Amino acid sequence: MTELAFTSHVKVGEKRYRERFGLDFEDFATGQVFKHRPGLTVSQQDNVEESMDTLNQAMIHFDERYASTTEFTKPLVVSTLTLQRLIGLTWKTFAKKIRILRWADISMTRPVFGGDTLYAETEIKEKQEVPNDPTCGKLTVITRGVNQQGTVICSMEYDLLVYRKRYVPFDKIQY
Amino acid sequence: MATFASHRKLSDNSYIEIAGVEYDDFEEGDIFEHRPGRTLTADENRLHTMRAADLSPRVVDAVYNENVYGGQQVIGETFVLSVVTALTTKTFNKVVANLGWKNIEFPTPVMAGDTIYAESEVLGKRESQSRPTQGVLHIRTRAVNQRGEEVCRFERRLLIYKRGLGPYEAAGY
Repeated sequence: MTELAFTSHVKVGEKRYRERFGLDFEDFATGQVFKHRPGLTVSQQDNVEESMDTLNQAMIHFDERYASTTEFTKPLVVSTLTLQRLIGLTWKTFAKKIRILRWADISMTRPVFGGDTLYAETEIKEKQEVPNDPTCGKLTVITRGVNQQGTVICSMEYDLLVYRKRYVPFDKIQY
Repeated sequence: MATFASHRKLSDNSYIEIAGVEYDDFEEGDIFEHRPGRTLTADENRLHTMRAADLSPRVVDAVYNENVYGGQQVIGETFVLSVVTALTTKTFNKVVANLGWKNIEFPTPVMAGDTIYAESEVLGKRESQSRPTQGVLHIRTRAVNQRGEEVCRFERRLLIYKRGLGPYEAAGY
């Protein structure tokens, strides 16, 4: 089925279009599933850098000789890199996010290795009004990370606040 | 004899650094204060966001951040969670794999320039049925900022090697 949905550009003049991104709270509905693109390949170098940048001392991520003696036989990609990449990859649908309120759960279901390509997909589990705040609404979503073989490597459930349509002053800032 | 040793003696006057507490030595109710703390900056928050292919204008466009979010430089939740988790890795260095987190909360936002400190409590432990060399540790980690305000807390489960059963000596550890 090829049916188009939502708006990628706003017409701002004759023959002039401006890119837009991020659905408004009003656009979301329980049960929707969004496949995010692009995917992103993570390398062993990314893994080393993420470990060093965050002060992670677990050598399973950056000592290949040590990793070769474990059951995994090669370095495991640090799970904090995986979750940062997955949430980042959702940005085009969720760019009007105010913040993530909490995660109920993050499960690392299969190992990730350097060279794997990650894709994110998100299911809208629940949509709620926010009492006393007309600017935004709350979504409960499940984001899954899928690798190049189609295997789910991570699943997380979290709550986020998303702006409603008229509360982002896009015109004023030329967005 | 130290409760938790930092070095192992190889021969007279020769020591090798070791890291991490073995599964056997954790007890329910133990609390570990992690050091160092870590200062988080707006630049590294931006870099980590961009490396996730995330072009959120809040992070990459200061004018947008000013107009839509009031100009506050908030450190992203995924980066906060990553840093807090990483700060625990000296005590939990004998990790086999991280299984997952639960109930991750952010009572106070982390702002650019804040310094955070983490501590972890052992909530429980059990031997792995399928992996006789390992056990599952259940911990709660909390992080506070330089004013002592709690910025993040979560529960986590991870597999840890039992004493003498990790593949350390073969790899030069």
